[in-house]
Amino acid sequence: MSIHESVARLVTNSRFLLAGFIFVVGLALGYLINRLTRRLLRALGLPDTVEGTAFERTLQGLGSSTVGVVAELIAFTIYLGAALAALEVARIVDTRAVLPFLSAFIPQVVIAALVVIAGLVIGDKAALVVGERLRGIKLPEVGIVPTLIKYSIFYIAALIALGQLGVATSALLVLLAAYVFGLVFLGGLAFKDLLAAGAAGVYILLNQPYGIGDEVRIGDHQGIVQEVDVFVTRVENDGQEYIIPNQRVFRGGVVRIRG
Amino acid sequence: MSELRDLLGELTDDVDAVLLFAPSRSVYEECEGGDAPVVVVDAENDVGADNYVELPLEFTDIETRIRFALEGAREAGYVEETDEVVCALGAFGGDIDTVVRVRAGQFTQSGIYDLFVNSRAEPAVVRDVLDVAIELGKKGQKGKPVGALFGVGDAGKVMNKSRPLSYNPFEKSHVHVGDPIVNVMLKEFSRLDGAFVISDSGKIVSAYRYLEPSAEGVDIPKGLGARHMAAGAVTRDTNAVAVVLSESDGMVRAFKGGELVLELDPEEY
Repeated sequence: MSIHESVARLVTNSRFLLAGFIFVVGLALGYLINRLTRRLLRALGLPDTVEGTAFERTLQGLGSSTVGVVAELIAFTIYLGAALAALEVARIVDTRAVLPFLSAFIPQVVIAALVVIAGLVIGDKAALVVGERLRGIKLPEVGIVPTLIKYSIFYIAALIALGQLGVATSALLVLLAAYVFGLVFLGGLAFKDLLAAGAAGVYILLNQPYGIGDEVRIGDHQGIVQEVDVFVTRVENDGQEYIIPNQRVFRGGVVRIRG
Repeated sequence: MSELRDLLGELTDDVDAVLLFAPSRSVYEECEGGDAPVVVVDAENDVGADNYVELPLEFTDIETRIRFALEGAREAGYVEETDEVVCALGAFGGDIDTVVRVRAGQFTQSGIYDLFVNSRAEPAVVRDVLDVAIELGKKGQKGKPVGALFGVGDAGKVMNKSRPLSYNPFEKSHVHVGDPIVNVMLKEFSRLDGAFVISDSGKIVSAYRYLEPSAEGVDIPKGLGARHMAAGAVTRDTNAVAVVLSESDGMVRAFKGGELVLELDPEEY
């Protein structure tokens, strides 16, 4: 028996060697995926997107970053999987009892963790963006809007994560449903006129049945059109400027006066 | 050096207000501790001052800058006509290097602050149009000097006081001054004759307009051409302001209420 034959037999027969091989391949794969994920996330511009959020700042205080954590998390899953597979092959411990449970549970935990991270980042980012937008409005109460958006997103992320882990979330779901219903219903009620004006405004802007400088009569207001935007039409007559919601233009029609 | 110190002390003695132009935070906080109220004049209120006049354009001319700030401060009630005011500004570059003492009533009101803030059009629109005119004046059309006339604000009335010279290239478009592409478009269309009409919110309503307001009683400096006369006349007849780029001397001028309020040299910007 030549040497290489015996080596081949050892490799194919020895469970320990095979297990070791699987484990090493798993480590290498995990490391590769780790690098790949980092590069992919960087290419997608994630570092710029998450910049300034509380989550990213906390991680940077700890010497890491969002990209790093996500990549490590994915790599860690692969390491764990490889270790489990190696143990299974080597039959050192009896993994039959825990394996089905673990193989079902670990992905869920990982996904839940990813959802939590995404929720934290998106919620913070949304609050930042909205806050930036609202900065022009000098009203202290407006500060509540970004906070509300942030915690709404946190709440939804927490719900999804808990659902992944199999925790009973139906009570929280009911709360969410009530919240969304309130938002949609009251929002719809509040924005009804604005939506109608906006829909009419889009038509008016696209087709321009009348333009700036035309003399028109809308309802009982007659004058020269000064401005048309999505929501209102401004008609001026003798120093009086009528600001007419666009849905009124649609409902009542316009008379164009050609002189 | 003590004589110099005395001179500076004389300049800054018994003032009723201090105008700080684009101060850094440390300068502002230093002056804030003094007796006279401090008014910050800047493009943005970075230092969070209570008394603040927004400077829409970096006027390179010191007199124009001070005039604008004084008129703004008087309008807002920070200074009175009889007040002695010290202005600290950077005449050469950004940092404060110059101290000027003026009486607030020393200048006749030129209406330059009025032009931006109390026009029908939004201040940002007036500023954007001036920017476009300055840009156009600097570069010209393919190296050749061009002239242009912009009627800003009160577009409905301006449209009714003018007639089209040709088809309106901005028909059914929704272009606003200040949009990134718009400078190029305006540059292209500036070779056409006639005026641009811009609405209160900055929408470009039309190009190619022949303005026909009555020029009766319009008093503009002699020697300016027909374009300036039309600009002066249209602002007297309507509530618009007009921004003119002169083809012959390359200056940008703004008219309001039939009068010349502002004159800028594009080369300086």
